[in-house]
Amino acid sequence: MGRILGCVLACLCLAASADAQWVSIALPRTPRTADGKPNLTAAVPRTPDGKPDLSGIWTRVASTKHDNEDGNFNLLDWMPDGARIQMKPQAAALYQHRRDVLKGGGRPSQECLPHSIPDSMLPPVMFKIVQIPDETIILFEEFNHFRQIFTDGRALPVDPQPAWVGYSVGRWEGNTFVATTAGFNDRSWLDDTGHPHSEALKTTERFRRIDFGHMELQVTVDDPEMYVAPFTMTVRFDLQPDTELLENICENERDSDHIVGK
Amino acid sequence: MSSRFLAAIALVALVGASDARAHHSFAAEYDSKKPVTLTGTVTKVEWLNPHVRFYADVKDPAGAVANWEFELGSGTSLVRKGWTRTSLKPSDVIKVEGFLARDGSHLVNATSVSLADGRQMFAGSSFENAPKP
Repeated sequence: MGRILGCVLACLCLAASADAQWVSIALPRTPRTADGKPNLTAAVPRTPDGKPDLSGIWTRVASTKHDNEDGNFNLLDWMPDGARIQMKPQAAALYQHRRDVLKGGGRPSQECLPHSIPDSMLPPVMFKIVQIPDETIILFEEFNHFRQIFTDGRALPVDPQPAWVGYSVGRWEGNTFVATTAGFNDRSWLDDTGHPHSEALKTTERFRRIDFGHMELQVTVDDPEMYVAPFTMTVRFDLQPDTELLENICENERDSDHIVGK
Repeated sequence: MSSRFLAAIALVALVGASDARAHHSFAAEYDSKKPVTLTGTVTKVEWLNPHVRFYADVKDPAGAVANWEFELGSGTSLVRKGWTRTSLKPSDVIKVEGFLARDGSHLVNATSVSLADGRQMFAGSSFENAPKP
């Protein structure tokens, strides 16, 4: 009994002291309750021009559904019960191979390459939104990847160089931040089960901060080369208060040599 | 206060969010139907991303020693759970629970690591989201 209690206390002390400046730091702009804890239901912070400020570190709320028996996250996990993703034949064949034969093996992140939209926000990883005039930046802790969403009024480029996270522009519709992205390459996966996309992919993300500690995102995927019709999923996020992103360089990748079925 | 309750506290304190799941598919590399428990002596620790890995000499029932590789969660996720690069050191005697690699190599996805001093290092395994056997 005493030994177990000692173990518990040692673990808790270790957790509290390690890398305190990064893992646990009281950020001055975090609203707090009377007992000093972050007030996650406080009002939505706003920028000087009155827009909601999405800035902060976020992690998605786990879906209660799990549509893939191999444990890999599926877009369907964030879609309504009974929803279907209607794939064209070439997409269906590629998806079936990735999901059932490769069991999710071979996905780009396995080799330290980026997740797509929305896949970069579906695993339980932290990302930081930095909202500044003319641009909103998303910093992903995993592998130090990032996105830029330009809000200076520019249009999407007509024929951009295909990119892993595409080219994004954003605008406000009331309290909702709408990011439109095109110009993707066709190498990323939409989710970890392997839903594919082509270079014709266009995504529309609608971010809405509900209160200080919560945010909702609706993502519509439109890829007429791969899918019969656009489809939409809804993901919720919890703010991760009083912490900072950690450096995460993919410097020691050794899994690929052991992936079976690649 | 029961020991089971205290153990639950320890687990909750250490689990938290894991980003190990983000990197690769558990099912493509490891077999959830092949759990394994191994005891050995740590020979090398790589406190890096995308995964912390360590190597340990493990003696089989016939007495032969082989060096095994153990994959944990990411260095980032383990730091967030309170572990550091000095938490596990060469010459530490450890007991590991985990799952064998599908390719038959001496590679294990560690789900927990117990140190000789009684601490249990939750490994941040990608098995957290994988199907349970």
